[in-house]
Amino acid sequence: MKMEEVSMSSLDNSKLEGLAQDILSDLVEDACLGLCFDVHRAVKQGYFFLDDTDQESMRDFEIVDQPGLDVFGQVYNQWKNKECVCPNCSRSIAASRFAPHLEKCLGMGRNSSRIANRRIVTGNNANNKSESDQEDNDDVNDNDWSYGAEKKGNALALHLLCVSGGVQNVEWNERIYFKIFGSTMNCLSLTAKKRKSDKVHYIFNIKILLLDDLTIIMFF
Amino acid sequence: MSKDSRMRATINQKLTEMGERDRLKELLRAKLTECGWKDQMKAHCKEVIKEKGLEHVTVEDLVVEITPKGRALVPDSVKKELLHRIRAFLSQHAT
Repeated sequence: MKMEEVSMSSLDNSKLEGLAQDILSDLVEDACLGLCFDVHRAVKQGYFFLDDTDQESMRDFEIVDQPGLDVFGQVYNQWKNKECVCPNCSRSIAASRFAPHLEKCLGMGRNSSRIANRRIVTGNNANNKSESDQEDNDDVNDNDWSYGAEKKGNALALHLLCVSGGVQNVEWNERIYFKIFGSTMNCLSLTAKKRKSDKVHYIFNIKILLLDDLTIIMFF
Repeated sequence: MSKDSRMRATINQKLTEMGERDRLKELLRAKLTECGWKDQMKAHCKEVIKEKGLEHVTVEDLVVEITPKGRALVPDSVKKELLHRIRAFLSQHAT
């Protein structure tokens, strides 16, 4: 009886295999017919030969594969170092920083009201001669924040007199720059970062509470 | 024999009803386009049309010229994949 079962199932298997082949055959035939109908319609409607172009125009639009050029053959980073003159404040701004600068300069960007508020608050709190061009610095876009001599604005510099817990990536007595990322009437939130090559290192995040003119509490 | 053909009919019906036939059609179409079969066949069609004349070519002409070549040119990998899916379906739904 076992033998019969085995032979029965192999018969079934060959039947199933035959069936599978037939189904495949139907599907392929379907695909071929579909193609024929599509082509015939395209011929009768007149769009079958539409994508044929002559060799010469094909050559005109060939993909360009050279270093320094994009696929259309245009130089793609030639505006990287160009400078643009802002129509609002007449300053010369680097091209890659132009759009964010305009946002703040015209007072129309996403964060421009926040920055304006911040400026009002810090202008009241501190005696610093804050320059009017603070728009360029915003912690929302940290990619271009570098610490170098040319950065002015609202960067506070601090010499780190002692390094203890909560502070990383900085040496004792090293000069670091803060950015103020939020402030209310008596509390400043600061983020200190520095850029080494292309990495931004976080130094610390602290909140400074101003209790009165002499007392501050720093929370790490 | 009729039991056999009844089984086939049932399977074919299930294939259609469950949407598997349409899925397989789509899969086949996609695979054939991917592997360049469609472009090959289109090029062959162009020849046939140039031969018969643009104005006078009929569906029949195309079918007769294209179908045998089309069947033969389906790559083995595509056939294998489709068969695999069909067999899976059969093993699940053939009693």
